[in-house]
Amino acid sequence: MRVSGTQAPDHKDDAALIDRMRAGDQSAMADLYDRYSGVVYGVALRVLANTTAAEDVVQEVFLQLWRNPGAFDAGRGRLAPWLAVIARNRAIDHLRKRAPEEDIDELPISTGVDLEDESARKLAVEKVRGVLTQLPQDQRKVLEMAFFEGMTHTEIAGKTGEPLGTVKTRIRTGLLALRKAFA
Amino acid sequence: MNGHPQYADALALYALGALDNPRELAELETHLGTCGECRRELEALRADTALLALSAMGPKPPDRARQRLLSAIAAEPRMPKKAPQPYAVGRLRSRWFSFAPVTVMLMLAVFSILLGFQVRNANREIRALQAQNDRYRIESEESNKKLAEAKAIDDLMHAPDAWPLTLVAANTRPQPQMKVIYSKQQGSILLTASNTQALPQDKVYELWLLPADGSAPMPAGWFHPDRQGHGKMFHRMTAGINAKGFAVTIEPASGSQTPTPPIMFAPAG
Repeated sequence: MRVSGTQAPDHKDDAALIDRMRAGDQSAMADLYDRYSGVVYGVALRVLANTTAAEDVVQEVFLQLWRNPGAFDAGRGRLAPWLAVIARNRAIDHLRKRAPEEDIDELPISTGVDLEDESARKLAVEKVRGVLTQLPQDQRKVLEMAFFEGMTHTEIAGKTGEPLGTVKTRIRTGLLALRKAFA
Repeated sequence: MNGHPQYADALALYALGALDNPRELAELETHLGTCGECRRELEALRADTALLALSAMGPKPPDRARQRLLSAIAAEPRMPKKAPQPYAVGRLRSRWFSFAPVTVMLMLAVFSILLGFQVRNANREIRALQAQNDRYRIESEESNKKLAEAKAIDDLMHAPDAWPLTLVAANTRPQPQMKVIYSKQQGSILLTASNTQALPQDKVYELWLLPADGSAPMPAGWFHPDRQGHGKMFHRMTAGINAKGFAVTIEPASGSQTPTPPIMFAPAG
C-alpha cells in the first residue's frame, strides 16, 4: 500500500486544499475539517471515551495543522492516515496525562490508501473492521491494547499473561494482516 | 522488511510507541539512523496503524467543535509572506565581500542541520524518558494502591475485635466450615475457619494440598482455632503446584508431614 505510480485525483484535491491552507485560506481549513474531523474525532473518542476530551484533541490537531501546515509532507503520504496517527498520539498523551508537544509530530507515513472521498473512506472502514473480525480474538485484543490504550508490550504481556515474544509477534502480524487487505 | 528480520517485531512496536525496553529501543533507533529500508518499513507500519484507527471512525464531532476551530483560526490569521526584496544596485564590492555572505550562510546552514539532528535526537531521548517516567509513576501508583488494600485486609483480619461471621439460611444451625483460597501461580493459600470444634492446646488443624498428579498430600499450613472455633491462616508454598483438592486433619501442635486420619474437612460437593 505504498504510494506508487499515478495518484488518485482526490489526492490532488487534498494537496490543493493544503496549498490554499498554507496560503492562509480559512475556507480550505474548513473543508479539510469537514473531510477529516470524523477520522480524528473517532479515534480520539475511542481512546479517551470522553466526548469533551475528544473534542479537545480535534481542536489541537487541526489548530496545529493550521499553525504548521509544513509538518505534513504531501509528497510522503496522505493526509487522512497522518491525521489519524497524530490524533491517536495526542489522545494517548491526554490519557496518560502527558503534556502534548508544542508542535505537531513529524511522522512520515507511507500509504496509498485512498481516503479522501467519503465513499472510499466508508469502504476502507468496512474493510478494516472485516479484517479485525477475522483476526483471532487474542491478536485483535493486543493490537487494540497497544493502539487504543497506548499500552507498551511489557504492560500488555503483564495484563494478558502472554510471553513478551508472543505479544510482539501478534502485534506485527496483526498490522501486516491489515496491510495485506489493502495491498 | 527482508533485509533485517531481527528488527521486524521491534519496528512494529516502535510504530505504535509500544517498545519500552530501553536497550532494544536504543539499538533500534541507532539502526534506523543508518538503514533506509527499515525507515521505509517504519513508515509503512505507521500507515498500518492508521488503518487500525479507521475502525474507530463513525461518530462526528458536534457542530460546536467546528465553530470553535474556525473561531480559533480566525483569531490567528496567517501572515502573508514578505515579497523578496529586489536587489539594490549599489557600489561594487570586492569579490571576497561578495562571497562572504554566501559562505557564512552555508556555514550557518550546515551548523543548523547538525544542530537539528542533535535537537531531534535529544527530543527523542526526552520523549522516551518521559514515557518511561509515566510508566513508572503509573506502576508505582497501582502498586501503592494494591499495597494499601492488602494492608487494610490484613489489618481487618488481625484486628483484636475482628468478628468473623458466617451467614446461613434463617433457622439453620451454623455449621463448622473452612474456606480456602489457593493461587497456583503465587503458591499462596488463605484459609478462614468458623464454628469448628475447639481443640486442646497440643492439637492444631492442618491443611493438606492434594496434588493433581496423585502424589502424596503436601502439608499446606496449620493453625489453632480460638475458643469459639474460629481461625485464619495464610501459607506460602512452592508456586505452580496443580491441586485437585484440599483436606484438613487434626495434628500435633507442631504439625505433621503426613496426614493423620480421619479427615475432618474436605471440599464440599
